[in-house]
Amino acid sequence: MKKILLSILLAVPILGYSQSFQVNLQGQKQIAMGGAGTGVALDEAAVFFNPGAVSFLKQNGVQAGISPIFLKTSFRETGSNITEHNKDKLATPVMGYAVFGSPAGRLRFGLGIYTPFGGAMHWQENWTGKYTVTSLDLQAIYVQPTLSYKITDQIGIGAGLVYSQGKVDLRRAVPLTLSNGETATAKLKGDTHDFGWNAGIYLETISGVSIGITHRSKVNARVKDGDATFSVPDALISSFPTKFTASLPLPATSTIGFGFYPSEKTTIVFDANWVHWNQYKELAFDYDNNSRIADTKSPRNYHDAAALRLGIQNQATTRLVLRAGVGYAFTPVGKGYVTPEVPDADRLLLSAGIGYKASERFAVDFSFLYENVKTRSENNIETNLSGEFKTLAYIPGISLTYKW
Amino acid sequence: MKPELIFKSILVAAVVSMASCKPEFKDVVPVKGTADFTRYIAVGNSLTSGFADGGLYLEGQQNSYPEMIAGQMKAAGGGAFTSPFFNADQPDGSGYLRIKSFSASGLPVTETVAGKTAVRGQITLPGVGSVTLYTKYTGDLNNYGVPGIKIDNVDNSGYGNANGYFERLLPAASPGNTTSYQAFVTAKPFTFFSMWLGNNDILGYASTGGGDTPTDKTRFATKYTAMVNELTKTGAGGILATIPDVLGTAYFTTVTYASLLRGVQASAPTVTDLYIQTATGPRKATAQDYFVLTLGSANLIGTVTAGLPYGLHPLNPIENRFVLDQAEAAVVADFTNSYNATIKSVAAAKGLPVVDFNALFKEYSGAGKMVNGVTVNNAYITGNLFSLDGIHLTQMGYAIVANEFIKSINAKYGSSIPVVDVTKYRGVKFP
Repeated sequence: MKKILLSILLAVPILGYSQSFQVNLQGQKQIAMGGAGTGVALDEAAVFFNPGAVSFLKQNGVQAGISPIFLKTSFRETGSNITEHNKDKLATPVMGYAVFGSPAGRLRFGLGIYTPFGGAMHWQENWTGKYTVTSLDLQAIYVQPTLSYKITDQIGIGAGLVYSQGKVDLRRAVPLTLSNGETATAKLKGDTHDFGWNAGIYLETISGVSIGITHRSKVNARVKDGDATFSVPDALISSFPTKFTASLPLPATSTIGFGFYPSEKTTIVFDANWVHWNQYKELAFDYDNNSRIADTKSPRNYHDAAALRLGIQNQATTRLVLRAGVGYAFTPVGKGYVTPEVPDADRLLLSAGIGYKASERFAVDFSFLYENVKTRSENNIETNLSGEFKTLAYIPGISLTYKW
Repeated sequence: MKPELIFKSILVAAVVSMASCKPEFKDVVPVKGTADFTRYIAVGNSLTSGFADGGLYLEGQQNSYPEMIAGQMKAAGGGAFTSPFFNADQPDGSGYLRIKSFSASGLPVTETVAGKTAVRGQITLPGVGSVTLYTKYTGDLNNYGVPGIKIDNVDNSGYGNANGYFERLLPAASPGNTTSYQAFVTAKPFTFFSMWLGNNDILGYASTGGGDTPTDKTRFATKYTAMVNELTKTGAGGILATIPDVLGTAYFTTVTYASLLRGVQASAPTVTDLYIQTATGPRKATAQDYFVLTLGSANLIGTVTAGLPYGLHPLNPIENRFVLDQAEAAVVADFTNSYNATIKSVAAAKGLPVVDFNALFKEYSGAGKMVNGVTVNNAYITGNLFSLDGIHLTQMGYAIVANEFIKSINAKYGSSIPVVDVTKYRGVKFP
């Protein structure tokens, strides 16, 4: 087992996170296993991965973690010999879970805080695609109180209400030249407050295989009266908007997951996600003043996309757990719709991690995720920005757990 | 295997991979193909010189399309390239327009920037009239763009005295020059040329509402062919370009019959007709007549002159200089098509690539095209293509031109000169 783990570690630069602006960094143990964990009752992060499995957790506990994302994207315009890189800008999705109630009883309670959608893409202010976007900071933090009920010793169900608090900060250059020769800019900033839900079923079959089925609902993140700050020539400023309204669908995700237990010390997990991206048809901005610029409707026309995740964990010693995983996420973005704020393509995920049990109550888990987003050569149908995109992401992570 | 060792190997691999970080693409090595860019020369008129905003000034010269092409050629074996820049202390060159403010109705009010011009004097030549002279340029020269030059002028040995922009490049002071443009540009050996000439042979006629005579079609063909023969006789590679239809420029598309009538009707709703002067006398204007950009800012329509409202009465029509009437517009179209047929046939005969700017500029008419997220069209000021004079291009427009030349050169000669980043160049400056 160790040899297999090691050979995976050595064969590839190391081990993955997301799909478009969906972020799959919800639990350090699961991240280390390719992002799979729906079909097992693994830890407190089951609040996210499968509310139905929460009632099967053997202990109550609380955990908190963070996964800083080192995102490296390069762009080369068609016909150019210059490669442009995004700025080093760290996104730091955090996650925290707590599970309460009597482990011997049928009803358990959970609370989760996590970041299922987000992004931090910062290009140089004067880059080739500056009129499409210079930076996007997007973050949707979900807070999810959860109930989980063990119907029988084999079947558990659970559901949580999701409160989503989002913020968006989108910046781009505006093709107007100020008297000092500088380019005009726009900043669109706003907050969202929306609701959704997360529900799951967990089954332990007599064959020893465990199965999880979950659905996380769509959340329609709507920015109302966001601040539109246009830095444009003085002669034109009165004709520009100051407020905007926009909405971004954070798509629903349906998952089926399995847990296999080849030995007492080894668990193999497999998840298949179906992300309902087809809800993302367009990105529309409705401005309060249209005398100079019209409302925009940028076509996105995403299609539903799957992600497959496979992971393994091995109890190496009484204190140490080793984990590894691999995943593949199909892009929801069709040809001609790739945009530089989220230059998405099919991606390979490789992950590894270790868990160390310091005492009966304290444990620490590390994970490392490597994402290789395929090179994609595109000509955007709306902006005609034409070139190649390539993205790599390196995501180390840590969490601390206290059990009782 | 000890757990500590596994932990260390994960840590090492993680650090190494994060440090290696930035994704790179397959290397692109620009090549020259079958062309030789050692000494590139740009032959042309105002468009080649970097003329913009109604004038030739230093910033425009620095952002001319030949400067951009030559800059990119350097990656593919290109040599040094020099434009006849105005001196740094005379950056305003001939003087140029800028937007001063916007009127209450949203129309731009322009003013001339002429604080630090390069004007050195005036001379009056018999048969030509007054010629403005500029501070002489001496030194290396690759950009031979001379504002105002026609194909009809290229073999005229006295032309260097009549055109101040040409005169400043020549050794003698007007009227002492005897070198034709054709002889001047070919005097020093070169390995590659671009030639974009012919626009002025019809522009003078069009922009003055038929006040100039277009170059005879046959004479155009003869002189154009001779010029290309001269440029190719030493075996240099090169590229030609067609002339865009001037009726598609902001100079002719901004002020229209409909916009004029709308303006009048705002204060005099009963007015239904505009009157124009034509070669065959005054008549009612129609939507098929073209009006020049400067009519808009002249604020003449409806003002009472000689007891009659200007433009609203057959006895006080809009002057011929402001109008390119339907018949004249047909002349412009006819000559433009003829010249372009000549250009294409000469290119084909000589095996030279030709950039069809006439076809290309049509793509930017109306709604236009998106270029890297920028809407580019022929709208005055906001279209990002035409500078404040409505005929010459913005720097962004010139960058689009440079890329079209580069793409055609690459296609013909098997070179891979990298394109310029259009978004690095500006449109019209606003106050």
